[in-house]
Amino acid sequence: MITQIRRSFVIAKKDFRIYYNKGPVVIQGILFPVILFFAFTIGRSIKPIYMISGLMAMVLFLTSTSIGPVVFPWETRQQTLERLITCPISIKTVLLGSIWGSSLFGVIFSSVPLILGLIFLSIQPSISLLIVIIGIILTALSFSSFSLILSVPPTDMPANTMILTILIKFPLLFISPLFMPINSTPLAVVSPLTYFIDIINTGLGENSSFGAYGLLIDFTILLTFGFVFLFLSFFLHGKTLQKRFRG
Amino acid sequence: MIITNAITVSSLSKYFKVPKRGKKSRKSKGIQKSNDNIVRAVDNISFEVKEGEIFGFLGPNGAGKTTTIRTLTGVLTPTEGKINIFGEDIWEHPIPIKQVLGNVPEMANVYMDLTALQNLSFIGELYGIPKKEHLNRAEMLLKKFELFEKRHFKAKKFSKGMKQRLLLCMALMSDPKILFLDEPVSGLDVQSARVIKQLIKDYNQRGMTIFLTTHDMNVANELCDRIAIINKGHIIRLDTPDNLKKLTQEYFAIDCYFENVQPIKEIKNLMSIKEVQEIKGGYHIIVENVNEALYEIINHAKSNNLKIIQLNTHQPTLEDAFLKLIEGGGKN
Repeated sequence: MITQIRRSFVIAKKDFRIYYNKGPVVIQGILFPVILFFAFTIGRSIKPIYMISGLMAMVLFLTSTSIGPVVFPWETRQQTLERLITCPISIKTVLLGSIWGSSLFGVIFSSVPLILGLIFLSIQPSISLLIVIIGIILTALSFSSFSLILSVPPTDMPANTMILTILIKFPLLFISPLFMPINSTPLAVVSPLTYFIDIINTGLGENSSFGAYGLLIDFTILLTFGFVFLFLSFFLHGKTLQKRFRG
Repeated sequence: MIITNAITVSSLSKYFKVPKRGKKSRKSKGIQKSNDNIVRAVDNISFEVKEGEIFGFLGPNGAGKTTTIRTLTGVLTPTEGKINIFGEDIWEHPIPIKQVLGNVPEMANVYMDLTALQNLSFIGELYGIPKKEHLNRAEMLLKKFELFEKRHFKAKKFSKGMKQRLLLCMALMSDPKILFLDEPVSGLDVQSARVIKQLIKDYNQRGMTIFLTTHDMNVANELCDRIAIINKGHIIRLDTPDNLKKLTQEYFAIDCYFENVQPIKEIKNLMSIKEVQEIKGGYHIIVENVNEALYEIINHAKSNNLKIIQLNTHQPTLEDAFLKLIEGGGKN
């Protein structure tokens, strides 16, 4: 078990070296958040805290889900996946590796708006910054697990999973309370982004929208989402992996 | 000395479901497809590979070679049957068994965006080899496979032969007990093919068991201790190259080259000829009575005003035995 976890970090290192400068990853992970940020915010008067939490949520969601959907089709297409799974690792190790890499990517990029906000918008964290950081890491892991579900179809065309990804990710962004109070969008409770935004808002001085147990609710729901996504991706990839090696 | 089995395969089958009519369907020559939309890629095969031997799996395209190697290396789950590697079931203990296997799949590639050294380090780390040791091993392999000078170059700058050598280095990083090679020299330049064949022999002499698939008779003949011939998912013969050649002992082969290329039909019509194959610029002819056949060929050339450039007689090759078995179709 520990050996497999250690080997999953080797996979993460490889993914990080190879995939994070690829076109589709840069477009979805960096360009989309910047474009969407301006689309959401230009001409609107937004509270600085909502600006930071909304931007962080968007960046974290888009960056940590940008690599997961393309790794499997890419490796199938490049003919490196078969080589990889003949190594002494399980498919879960490969998936975990991908989750670590995507999460790290998300954590790094979503920290940028937080640091900028703390410096330029004079926002003071009301509670321990550690809680905000734990929230970022937990959410990144949860979103990365979610992104692996999108790469389940056994295709070798990254474009195919990108279409599926966009069809699922963007509606999820639009129902989330980005740059606004959480209770202003009726469908917000079904989006995992909502609970991350609530953690950041609470961490930066707002009261939690879920009352006194706000943070506890946020962390519990994010943890639940994370485990569901993780086990679903393990299960579904286990089902479809062999279909990549036929013919 | 007790010779143990490195690989024991019992009643192995691998079937694939194919899309029903109306959807995209795969057409693969040689693959057994039944009416229930099941492709029987490998159908009830059993064999053993002894420790320390080079075992060849020979067959035409679509015969089931790659599917077999994928089930042996833990990529595909068998539909039926058992695979034991050094007595352990690979599907019950996949991780420790994969630890002693090296693999060069046919449809495989190196990581193009990593350098040769990074590709090897990645494999070294995945097999849990300590850093110092895997770097030493990588250096040794890169030197042996004539890639050391290019160790800091990204693999995307490598030729096909260099990539294949790098793949072999990756497979050898863990110093495996069994090395699986799927078409190891297919499509390579002469120099790369020679380097790889020599290294396969060297590693085998040091005790490594080698399982290779090929459709190239010369490779099988040159390297293998025993050969299984597979066709349409069945093993139709398993023997040493010499014994396989003896299957055509009653025949002779004639290689015949005319100045102008003749239609193969006319050659086939000659009485004493059993089989004819077109080879580069001429014909490879299998006959029972060599004197009679030579007489007929020369007469044919005379009456059609043809100039014979070359006429060689020799014993049938492994290729002739292979064709005889494949064309015979059934089990022997």
